[in-house]
Amino acid sequence: MPRFLSSALWLIALAMTVVGCSDAESRSGIADDFGRCADFDPLRQLFWGDTHIHTELSFDANMQGTRTTVDDAYEFARGEPIPLQPYNEDGTPTRMAAIDRPLDFVMLSDHAEFLGTLKVCNDPSSPGYGARQCVDYRAAQQFDASPQEVAGIFVELNALTAAEPQRARYPELCGPADEYCLEAGMDVWRQVVSDAEAAYDRSDACELTTFPGYEWSGGPRLKNLHRNVMFKNEKVTALPYNYFDEPYAEGLWARLREECVDAGTGCDVLTIPHNSNISEGIYFQNEMANGEPFTSEYVEARNAMEPVIEVYQHKGASECLPGAATADELCGFEVIPFSNLATTNLELITPPDPKGFLRHAYGEGMRLEASLGTNPFQYGITAATDTHISAPGFVAENDFKGHGGAGQPNRFLPPPPGFPDVEYLSPGGLTAVWAEENARDAIFSALRRKETFGTSGPRMAVRMFGGWDYPSDLCNASDLVAQADAAGVPMGGTLEPQPASSAPVFLVSAMQDSNSAPLQRIQIVKGWLDGDDYQVQVFEIAGDANNGASADLDTCELQGEGFGDLCGVWQDADFDPGQRAYYYARVLENPSCRWTTWQCSAAEYDCTDWDYAACVQRKQDFLPSDFTCDCCDPAAGLNQAFCAEVDCRDPGLLPEAEERCCHQVEPTIQERAWTSPIWYQPPS
Amino acid sequence: MLRPLVHFFLIGGLLFSAKSVYEKSRIEGPAITVRVAVDATDANVETAVREAILLNEAQRLGWDRTDPIVYTHLIRNMRFIEPDSPDDDLALFQRAIEMNMQAHDPVVRARLLYRAREALTFVPEDRMPSRAELEEHRRTHEDRFEREGRVRFQQVFLSRSKRREALAADAREMRERLAALGDSAPAGLGDSLPGLRPEQSATPSELKDDYGAELAVAVGEAVVGAWRGPVSSVYGLHFVKVIGTEPAYVPPLDVIGAEVRADRLREIREEVRQERMAALREAYRITIERAP
Repeated sequence: MPRFLSSALWLIALAMTVVGCSDAESRSGIADDFGRCADFDPLRQLFWGDTHIHTELSFDANMQGTRTTVDDAYEFARGEPIPLQPYNEDGTPTRMAAIDRPLDFVMLSDHAEFLGTLKVCNDPSSPGYGARQCVDYRAAQQFDASPQEVAGIFVELNALTAAEPQRARYPELCGPADEYCLEAGMDVWRQVVSDAEAAYDRSDACELTTFPGYEWSGGPRLKNLHRNVMFKNEKVTALPYNYFDEPYAEGLWARLREECVDAGTGCDVLTIPHNSNISEGIYFQNEMANGEPFTSEYVEARNAMEPVIEVYQHKGASECLPGAATADELCGFEVIPFSNLATTNLELITPPDPKGFLRHAYGEGMRLEASLGTNPFQYGITAATDTHISAPGFVAENDFKGHGGAGQPNRFLPPPPGFPDVEYLSPGGLTAVWAEENARDAIFSALRRKETFGTSGPRMAVRMFGGWDYPSDLCNASDLVAQADAAGVPMGGTLEPQPASSAPVFLVSAMQDSNSAPLQRIQIVKGWLDGDDYQVQVFEIAGDANNGASADLDTCELQGEGFGDLCGVWQDADFDPGQRAYYYARVLENPSCRWTTWQCSAAEYDCTDWDYAACVQRKQDFLPSDFTCDCCDPAAGLNQAFCAEVDCRDPGLLPEAEERCCHQVEPTIQERAWTSPIWYQPPS
Repeated sequence: MLRPLVHFFLIGGLLFSAKSVYEKSRIEGPAITVRVAVDATDANVETAVREAILLNEAQRLGWDRTDPIVYTHLIRNMRFIEPDSPDDDLALFQRAIEMNMQAHDPVVRARLLYRAREALTFVPEDRMPSRAELEEHRRTHEDRFEREGRVRFQQVFLSRSKRREALAADAREMRERLAALGDSAPAGLGDSLPGLRPEQSATPSELKDDYGAELAVAVGEAVVGAWRGPVSSVYGLHFVKVIGTEPAYVPPLDVIGAEVRADRLREIREEVRQERMAALREAYRITIERAP
């Protein structure tokens, strides 16, 4: 038997022993019975969570100066303030952060690839501690480390996750057969699971639900294929399988099925794709690890393992790309102008590929379903932060502390002056689930059946049902949920064909976040398969798109009227029972200030006038010598007047500075919710 | 499970006994001289003293000569100094020891301090909290584990978006209808909102988060069994009738055992660290030398 294999098996056996022990402890008299919470509703209630959170355990966060821990992340989710970097020389933090309202559920998702590596490098008792890469890592952690030192080791190690799958390897410091990092990674994973157990509220108050998890961070040739792995409970796999262990998604799913779903231990797991927007269009490519097109077995596995997708987070939205496929002026929301992981990290403007967006996936999924029998991309919707500072659910536009380094985004690429992070990033969103109670079984089941929606941050409540016989005045019923639930399916569901019916009817009911802007309107986005082509159309079903609401750019005060709640019943008049289709709702708030405008407002910058002197100073400090200050720079202030004069018809032909105007961030945004679609499949 | 045992037997076992060696047996500890900067503050001096004690303990236990990391690191140093040396690793290591390299190398120093600090905070089996201790911890720190009280109430809602100018008149009419209801449930009355239930149980915090402070206060102040309202929110007007209240409580240990244990272990680690450090600090005879 090869040595590395024997080592790995030994480690797995050891891990199973260890995990078995923790299971036994957790079983001692503590059950997680469905229905144990004091507040239980069979018609389901709304819970808010974040399933994408990084702490000091993630290599990239760690390199960005994050020192906040798993415990800090749970404290933050409960509403307690936590310290944030940058730290002073004496180790005291320079900033604090607190969420405005506690979350109901969280899953920490530290990158699995370097869980063991960090422990090895920080633990002098580890044989790998003295390795050159560890020495460089520790040097880069020092307060006075140069940007070059930080960049050097960050790129050297992180680049391993961008290797071709067949070349994906643990770092050298992990020793022969990767033993040091495998063993250390097991230790950390066990602690992660144990910490999630300790933070999970098993009382009938059900205040906080936690899920063990991690992020599988494969990015072959810098194309993002990352997915978060979420376990239902403390019954987990022996190792947090990462890109180096399983460099293909189907390998990961096979491991998870074998060692969790099919193991008969009560283990259950799902994976949540994210940031398909920076995958250069390969996230939904019809190609398996062996280079062949999807098989029916593959699409079944993907459908089963990936019920939901993260549509929005710090690194942008993945719903749709402006100008792609169909006219939809609202596709421009938080679309970052980068095509892959490297261009995002290095701020190199490169156009994203429309094939990396959800609209494309939904269409392709229907086409594949027609030929293979299962839709591999039948995703429900979630949203998250992807915080790298242990701050789950920290989505406030008026208090954005940054994605990572918070003042030092990468510690080798300085942020725009006055901003905590790169202007294209944003505070991310939240996942909402409709579940009977705030406990693991109920929340996990809701994710499985896709009764979920994502928001860009505000906690607006949205319910959507589809049926065949809903009355047009259903919105007036005080028991509309009971009626809609009894006669149809909720978001995430699939409508059964009804031979006698003419067209499906959809009910969408929404209420604003009491701490945010009023609602403006509700839309239904319909996509359908017409022969071999897929189409998309957007319908306004409630509210007023032309209500004239806005925000004052100097004070960020909201202006104009909106709606506290909205409800609409809509029937698809063009429905063709022979065509596959999906329908999801998009709920929009009135316009409000984007975080960049909040920062400008707070700093009393004049965001409507170009500050030439500031630009020159910034250029002297760290911008390339060929950068010209003759143009607006959205990072230093929004010179809208100048940018409006730039001819953006072909940005590629413009000087770099003027091209930047074409990618100007918007001063205001329309916060929104995206529901999971309701699907229609014609009779076979 | 295994790693702590390895730590205990191979790394920290001897240091753990510092308390009994130096405190219970009243054995006088070593004398050491700690050099600090002439302008060092009291805090700087104390830090230097503690590090010197831990380093001395590590050296007293021979970790500077037996530790595998120190071994590897010193060999690497020697290979750097003598790149052409034909000697094997052991010979190089012995020469490094003869040169007293381990006493001055910053990596060795960090390694020894790390091991000593790990040993200080290790919780031995006899200090692991028993069920009785956890129960006591739960009882004496109820504020850490308390769950917020809940209110069970009925609610009727009138939507501002839906009723617009008629909202105030509709509210007056609704108040009269509710007053006439008696103990009957308000079935079919009012408008719907996503998540709004005719009867629900909630904490004041949840109500504030969902509907705003005004409604949370109104529910908190409501007399049980009587309709109250209308109360305004960003959504419209609300009428509430409190059915019952459940006070704040601390869940039993069977339910929050993991939470209590984690909390108590954090304390114990700090306790044993302080105990062991204090015992060492008391036993050692320290001379401070200030140097420019």
